[in-house]
Amino acid sequence: MTIKVGQKLPESMLLQKTSDGPRKVVLSEKLKGRKVVLFGLPGAFTPTCDSAHLPSFMRTKDAFVDAGVDDIICVSVNDIHVMELWGRLSGAQEAGITMLADADCSFTKSIGMDYSNPDAGMFDRSKRYAMLVEDGTVVLFQPEEKAGVCEISAGEALLANL
Amino acid sequence: MKLKVGDKLPDAQMSVMGSEGPALVSLSEKLAGRKVVVFGLPGAFTGPCSTTHIPSFMRVMDQLKSKGVEAVYCVAVNDPFVLKAWGESTGATDAGIEMLGDASAAFTKELEAEFTAPPLGLYDRSNRYAALVEDGVVKVLNVDEPGVCDISTGERFLEAL
Repeated sequence: MTIKVGQKLPESMLLQKTSDGPRKVVLSEKLKGRKVVLFGLPGAFTPTCDSAHLPSFMRTKDAFVDAGVDDIICVSVNDIHVMELWGRLSGAQEAGITMLADADCSFTKSIGMDYSNPDAGMFDRSKRYAMLVEDGTVVLFQPEEKAGVCEISAGEALLANL
Repeated sequence: MKLKVGDKLPDAQMSVMGSEGPALVSLSEKLAGRKVVVFGLPGAFTGPCSTTHIPSFMRVMDQLKSKGVEAVYCVAVNDPFVLKAWGESTGATDAGIEMLGDASAAFTKELEAEFTAPPLGLYDRSNRYAALVEDGVVKVLNVDEPGVCDISTGERFLEAL
């Protein structure tokens, strides 16, 4: 079942690479009592994610902070090494975006946003979406409807509905 | 690792990045009638893979060619987007190493070479090995113990040829 506005995000564990090594991140702890933007995408280094989706949140970061958002989290089904390097190379890390790896796709599956495209070498990856989450509950949910584009789920489109 | 010298490598659909985006290639077509090296590793951008394993094959490319090796393939359980970025950032692509993405891990599992390390976010990844393959048949095989990057490196493998 796909997640809906008004629902609490399921209990999940994500991973982050830090200077001290890999760290487990309990999602509910990140969300508790906070206003968080969370966006998911098919994968590090894939064209639309790299050129459109991630940059759209780098551009809008300050506006989200001004609107009271405490954290902007990017979730992708990649391992922590790939996520960390992508965050560094794209400038997302420096922009203050939190890069979290859903390496086993469990979070993505739990919100019903997983997909596979074997021809492109993509198995159990995340569809593109953006959401606003307040104290763990989904307040805005903007899944992308078409593959290969980033419009509804872009930073500017989420910001417009805040 | 189930594979041993004398075995034929199983066929598999491998993901590559073509000029028009991701594509699938048949491994057995790549191997037919050719002398090639196939080496497997845990993943793009992981520590020893980037700093040790890939550079070791970049250093011995000329020597491998002088021994009649026609192509060197690096197999990892990654998608073709990540492998392309990795091949370019390490210089492996420029050095002539071709990246084959075993994106579903089907090939790696067929070899029984897979491992999983949840704390690192690695699921169904490949242990390290290097193989000389002639017309699809394994002639030389160096398999490293899990977590070790030694006899499957370029120089050590070259010694075994």
